[in-house]
Amino acid sequence: MEDLDGGMASEVEREEEEEVTDLLRDRFRLCTISIAEAEAKQCGMEVSQPIISCISDLAFKFAEQLAKDLELFAQHAGRKSVNMEDVILSAHRNDHLAASLRSFCNDLKAKEPTLERKRKKKSRREDRVARDLLRTAGT
Amino acid sequence: MSEHPMEKENTFDPDLVHEIFKLVWKRKSAERGKNELSENMENEVEASSSRRSRPTFANANALKLSSELLRVFVAEAIQRAATIAEAEGSIKIEATHLERILPQLLLDF
Repeated sequence: MEDLDGGMASEVEREEEEEVTDLLRDRFRLCTISIAEAEAKQCGMEVSQPIISCISDLAFKFAEQLAKDLELFAQHAGRKSVNMEDVILSAHRNDHLAASLRSFCNDLKAKEPTLERKRKKKSRREDRVARDLLRTAGT
Repeated sequence: MSEHPMEKENTFDPDLVHEIFKLVWKRKSAERGKNELSENMENEVEASSSRRSRPTFANANALKLSSELLRVFVAEAIQRAATIAEAEGSIKIEATHLERILPQLLLDF
């Protein structure tokens, strides 16, 4: 009896999941369309609609594969969170792609230097406190 | 490969990418624990905050970088297909053009 309930529950869950996946796939396609059309415009080309949805499906599959890879990379590093190094690692077969991602990564890092500076300042202050403590202990 | 990724406005929404990732990770962790965990797992998550039940998560920059990777994939597909279409004297990218570039594209990503 319990097994039967569990089975039904998981089936309902799976259906819901498929619905969510379809929704995500549609949102993903909208993004793909705007990217693809902008890109084609730059090349002075037109793109037929079926081609774009084909590319979108490919990119979606790629995204799913990427998710699996990233999870494995993070786990292999003993982490629960995926960071930028994992993403760059996922492109390691293609040197150009990895280099391009690396520069994008550096741009992102350059955008938020405030955090590190704060941390440095804080640690410096802690150093000073430690020094003062040492001095008072010495006297 | 695109030269100025930061200047592009069109890219995938990192939140959307995050949702796709979360879905895949949820599906995988469900597969992993299918046999051991009973259906009332959800109620016990808080109680048994074990590390296995904690899903993978991604930081914001990693998601932005993933969006960029996906954007490059789409952009490359279009650009390569456009090159073939141009060589054939066409002004519209058709299925045959995509077919020609697909094997190498998939090898490159």
